[in-house]
Amino acid sequence: MIENFLAGTATLFGDPFTIGIFVFGVLGGMLFGAIPGVSMLTLAAILLPFTADLSPAQGVMLFAVIYCTGTYGGAITAILFNIPGAPENAPTAFDGYPMTQKGMAGKAVGAAVLCSAIGGVASALVMMSATEPLAQWAIMNIGPPEIFALVFFGLAVASSVGGRTIWKGWLSVLLGLLIATIGQDPVGGINRFNFGYSDLAAGIAFVPAILGFFAVSEIFIQAEKNVSGKYSAPKFNVDFPSFLELWAHKIAVVRSIFVGFFCGILPGIGATLAAFMGYGEAVRWSKNKSEFGTGKLEGVISSETANNAATGAAMIPLLALGLPGGALTAMMVAVFQMHDLEPGPLVFYNSPELIWIVFAAMFYANLSILFVGLIETKTILYLLKIPFQFLAPMILMLASIGAYISRGLVLDVIVMFIAGIIGFLLRRSGYSIPGIVLGLILGKIGEQNFAQGMQMVHYDLGTYFSRPICTILIVAGVLTLLKSLHSAFFQKSKVT
Amino acid sequence: MKLNFKKQFSTLALVTGFAATASMSLAGECRVAEASMDKPGGFPDRALTMIVPYGPGGGSGQVAAAMAEAVTGLTDVSINRDHKPGGSGTVGMTAYMAAPADGYNVLEHIDDASSAHALDSSRPNPAEDLIPLVVSQVTFSQIYIRSNETRYTDWPSFVEWVQAQNGKATIANVSKEGSMERVIMKFITEASDMQIQQISFDKGAPRYGALLGGQVDALFEQPGDVRKFLDAGNFKPILTVFNERPGVFSDVPTHREMGMDFEPLLRFRGFYVHKDAPSDRVDWLKWAFQRAYCEDSYQAFNDSKFMNVIDSYRDTAGAIDMINAAIVQYRDVYKEMGLDVK
Repeated sequence: MIENFLAGTATLFGDPFTIGIFVFGVLGGMLFGAIPGVSMLTLAAILLPFTADLSPAQGVMLFAVIYCTGTYGGAITAILFNIPGAPENAPTAFDGYPMTQKGMAGKAVGAAVLCSAIGGVASALVMMSATEPLAQWAIMNIGPPEIFALVFFGLAVASSVGGRTIWKGWLSVLLGLLIATIGQDPVGGINRFNFGYSDLAAGIAFVPAILGFFAVSEIFIQAEKNVSGKYSAPKFNVDFPSFLELWAHKIAVVRSIFVGFFCGILPGIGATLAAFMGYGEAVRWSKNKSEFGTGKLEGVISSETANNAATGAAMIPLLALGLPGGALTAMMVAVFQMHDLEPGPLVFYNSPELIWIVFAAMFYANLSILFVGLIETKTILYLLKIPFQFLAPMILMLASIGAYISRGLVLDVIVMFIAGIIGFLLRRSGYSIPGIVLGLILGKIGEQNFAQGMQMVHYDLGTYFSRPICTILIVAGVLTLLKSLHSAFFQKSKVT
Repeated sequence: MKLNFKKQFSTLALVTGFAATASMSLAGECRVAEASMDKPGGFPDRALTMIVPYGPGGGSGQVAAAMAEAVTGLTDVSINRDHKPGGSGTVGMTAYMAAPADGYNVLEHIDDASSAHALDSSRPNPAEDLIPLVVSQVTFSQIYIRSNETRYTDWPSFVEWVQAQNGKATIANVSKEGSMERVIMKFITEASDMQIQQISFDKGAPRYGALLGGQVDALFEQPGDVRKFLDAGNFKPILTVFNERPGVFSDVPTHREMGMDFEPLLRFRGFYVHKDAPSDRVDWLKWAFQRAYCEDSYQAFNDSKFMNVIDSYRDTAGAIDMINAAIVQYRDVYKEMGLDVK
């Protein structure tokens, strides 16, 4: 393995043009990942035709690098302005933005940079050492019932994130699940709650909903404070987390690597579920669950480690089996095909040089996050010095463009503002915005896999429990729910 | 309820049967003589916009990219692809119908547009509300099993095994209501007297992964979409849903050979322009897209997707015939299935 890795490294850095492509991918991924709506997918779609003029290794390597750095890029705006660059950065905003408000933006961004790099590098190392056996294991053991059970387990911990009470947390999650049912049902294709409006047949898109619930509602809240004279600008601070602060969260990092890797290896799932599950597990294992959502460093660490840990893992089913884990890896299939190649088992035998250049590039791209990210952070934090009356319109304009540009639909801008108003009102009442977003994103994934799973087990729910992984996840989820209910009643009895 | 296939498809059989017979010899051939055409009134003097109702990574996204590249290579006119996925193509179609009918906006769409109109006539009719510029991909479906499968190895043993499972056998496909996949599976199961649970996966990767991992027993798909699994020896076709054996699948029996007497529904992808676009611009677009089909880059793409196994080309008249026949066929089947045909 080491010999192959060194050979891949030599090829990667042995040619100035290839180095140029690598650097372009690193910077482009970070930039496009950081701008809401204009995601790394946008950059990849723009670049796709040009990859025909590159060698196969250069083309696939470019997309792999964009995938790594683009997944990290959205963390910066999530932390500084409550604008996740992409759905996989949404959990980062749960605690990252409150940290900015507390004057701890430097610590949050520093942790995001470091943990993205750690998660990505760890994932790349596992990818290099065990791609084929891991892909085979995942494909043989994980089906729709297991993915549904995983989502159920993830939702079970959501009640304690962000809500003033557990009940309000659960109502928030249920609202998110309700919103997720808008549009065609994922199996039969029957329209639901679209009121005859064809654009709603596709459901509520994640990007405008996230921008509305996070960014727009935040602008409204800050504007209200501004009008009532209670507004105070975030304290400017570029202090990075100390080694001891990060070392204290070593278990959270390791746990998130495992969670992110596990989610990333599942075909069609990818980094978004990884980020939410990583965050959810951090909450579940914490002794101070109520502190999550208020600016806890562990929240940022868990989310950013997990989503980057999913990047290397998502390459495993792609390269070993030809099964893309998400939209960007699906575009990588197109890059392969433009060069008369097909990702899958044969590529290891037919094009081993290509595989190891890609592996090496992903490893170094994740390392680049550390160095480029730290330099970037020292400069981008100065945006916090912009007065609110100038910053707010800029954020609203950026969010509106981001909401529109992802699908080119005015509907998405309307959805964003409606979500912003609802988010503003619900936050004032103590409901959980992370819970709503969690319900929305996991609801769509969960419903689809539940329906597929029910078809597979011939509508006999009991059959779910004949599958060991499924059983473990469902039982763990139920226990979490019971514990949550117990805590809710216990809290109530203490009050009364 | 059994369908009377012979009665339903007698007319359609003439249309598609003729096309199928002629298909083997014409596959991949260029049928546009003019190598160039003057731009009418300078049109187009800027980039075209191609609305694609599906994501960039799937079959539609890839054919849109390949055709855009071929048209640009031929004419030096850029094409911006605008992906509007969702709602089984309805979001993109709605956006397209609202776009200016000036010839600068074109649409990529698949046979779903025809079946959607067949089910609900208020949806745009691709043969009347739009003008087909070219249909550039026409393909058939097959049923696949794992190559290392031991419970069954061919279609007869598969049918026997499925019948013994009493409805517990599973097949992965895209079985949304009224979809081509669901309709064909209805034909097959009724003609073979077997019950099989269809598992609907809207994305390719989980669908193929389900067969690879043994989560399902078989897969319904088109050969171009699973070519890499065929080349790698992972999947094996056991039934071709087409009237005759295509050359590269000469060892795979057709549904007719297996005693199923129905006219196959085909998957087709094509490019359209609004019917109200100026006629001289439409003529130029027809030339550009039909000639681009002949470009080496596009032919190489179609070859890589098994899209030259049968004749993938339909000009405007051929496309209209195919769409009209498909609409009639779908509508009759939907009525037989008891769906609410509007």
